[in-house]
Amino acid sequence: MSFLSRLRKFPFWAWFWFLLGALYFILPLLATFEFSLSWDPAIPFKAYQRSFEDSRFWTSFIASNIFALITIFASIVLVVPTAYWIRLRLPQARRIVEFITLMPFVVPAIILVFGLIRVYSTPFTIPFTDIVFMQPLTQFKLGTNILVIAGYMVLAMPYMYRSVDTGMRTVDILTLTEAAQSLGANWFVIITRVILPNIRSALLSGALLTFAIVVGEVILASFLGVTAFGPYLFLLGQHRAYEPAALSFVSFLLTWFAMGLIQLVTGGQGQAAGAH
Amino acid sequence: MSYLSLSNVTKQFGDTVVVDNFNLDIDKGEFVSFLGPSGCGKTTTLRMVAGFEVPTSGKIMIEGVDITDKAPNQRNVGMIFQSYALFPNMTVAQNIGFGLTVRKEPESVVKSRVAEMISLINLEAHANKYPYQLSGGQQQRVSLARALANRPQVLLLDEPLSALDAKIRVSLRAEIRSIQKALGITAIFVTHDQEEALSISDRIVVMNAGEMEQVGTPFEIYNFPKTRFVANFVGSLNTADAEVVDPTKGLVSVDGVQFTSAEGTKERKKGDKIKVAIRPERFSFAALQHKDNVVDAKIENITFLGSVVRIQVKIGNTNFNMDTFNNPFLELPKIGSIEQVTCSKEAVLVLDE
Repeated sequence: MSFLSRLRKFPFWAWFWFLLGALYFILPLLATFEFSLSWDPAIPFKAYQRSFEDSRFWTSFIASNIFALITIFASIVLVVPTAYWIRLRLPQARRIVEFITLMPFVVPAIILVFGLIRVYSTPFTIPFTDIVFMQPLTQFKLGTNILVIAGYMVLAMPYMYRSVDTGMRTVDILTLTEAAQSLGANWFVIITRVILPNIRSALLSGALLTFAIVVGEVILASFLGVTAFGPYLFLLGQHRAYEPAALSFVSFLLTWFAMGLIQLVTGGQGQAAGAH
Repeated sequence: MSYLSLSNVTKQFGDTVVVDNFNLDIDKGEFVSFLGPSGCGKTTTLRMVAGFEVPTSGKIMIEGVDITDKAPNQRNVGMIFQSYALFPNMTVAQNIGFGLTVRKEPESVVKSRVAEMISLINLEAHANKYPYQLSGGQQQRVSLARALANRPQVLLLDEPLSALDAKIRVSLRAEIRSIQKALGITAIFVTHDQEEALSISDRIVVMNAGEMEQVGTPFEIYNFPKTRFVANFVGSLNTADAEVVDPTKGLVSVDGVQFTSAEGTKERKKGDKIKVAIRPERFSFAALQHKDNVVDAKIENITFLGSVVRIQVKIGNTNFNMDTFNNPFLELPKIGSIEQVTCSKEAVLVLDE
């Protein structure tokens, strides 16, 4: 084949748009990385060193990680049985639930947090009585933490629901359920021993996306006054120049690491049909 | 008292009656097939026995115990699915032992029963493999072992061979039958494949549009179909409109050509319009054998089908198929020639509508 005919077959425009897109994402990141190294030419990683030495970084980072883990667990407990039941018994409700799970894309986090504060900053009384059913959640630490996790669950719901639903689509949920039932399994056994292990790649995808959302979230944690990594990074950005750039780059690395982990576990398919 | 009984079982989905007043008694150790076309209600009936569907009315009993309202996991019923339904996250051994671990059987019992079942299906070398590493036939054998490991009272098989290729289908059905006989387990087998049902069953229930058309042994179903539907569905069959000529002698006329039938015309009157049926293999050439009915037939076409040669003949104005076994020295008539063909009076069946 001649050079000219090879050249004609080369997908020039495909590569052009791909490289343009890649540059659009990579250039700002490279600039951030370069900027984070330019604090002190004698100590290139000074911004990173300073950031990691700050105890507030670790406090907020660990708090966000704990929030993320609890959010992931609570989301799985809520979403898996819901998605499972809709696939199994209520397929007609699927569109409604999908619409509900998309709401966080439509309603901004700021609206959500003001709604939460408004509803949960006054005591819950039983209607037409003075009996206090529940103290305002915003007035004690555990209550606020519950609120922030509930808010995170809402924000992560589109990702978690879609991941789980896609995972269930690749498995014959109905037949596996019936097979397990005919062998004497109850609902708990079916979900924990048959369904969950067969959608574990989907769960991992949902979990990692939830993790990324929670760790980077600013608005909910700021307005509810909770120590978290997002607000810390935001505050740092207002007072310092180099450390936020360094921490932003670290956040990107963490996200990429998470995405790489998804690829590794799912074999690059985004979702494995079974466990293998 | 029968081992498994379905009494007046009806299932409706909305206004549609899917199974209508189904009555059947099955003995212990019996192998019964539900045979019928798609949508005839055979799978729904099976699913009602499994507990996946609740009858709209009627009663299902096993060993005298009413299980109609019991949840599927409360019944001791094993089920085999067309799509195998093996748990992809478990190995062959884990799949087989699943039901036993759910029942919290001691580990020693689970181990020994799993080993017993694996040897029953001859998959000892595959015990630690995952389902995706097995062929379709092997997966279905694992599914059979898994269903049997719990020692179910009844084994339900929902078109278990449909997804397999022809050769494996034949060998696996023989294997299923021999295991069923060896264990003496009561089984219900759903299929739309008449050959499968005829070869494997003690009794066949032929179903159509939610109703039982006929219940009988494979021999009875094939040789003495009661209705036009059964006659057409099971095996290939020539059917023709006929008129009763002499009810006492069983004489009927098909387009002016007279046949004698051994049965079914005594309750009718002369001139009654009826349907008669003759299986293609019941015809032969009169020059070779001479039976009760000898008629002139014009040879229309000859088709070679391997072990059988199908000859299309015209008797009067009605087309009939005639099957004869192939052999290398078979002398076939010429197309367009007129030959005398014959059949016994027992071969001429009179059908209920």
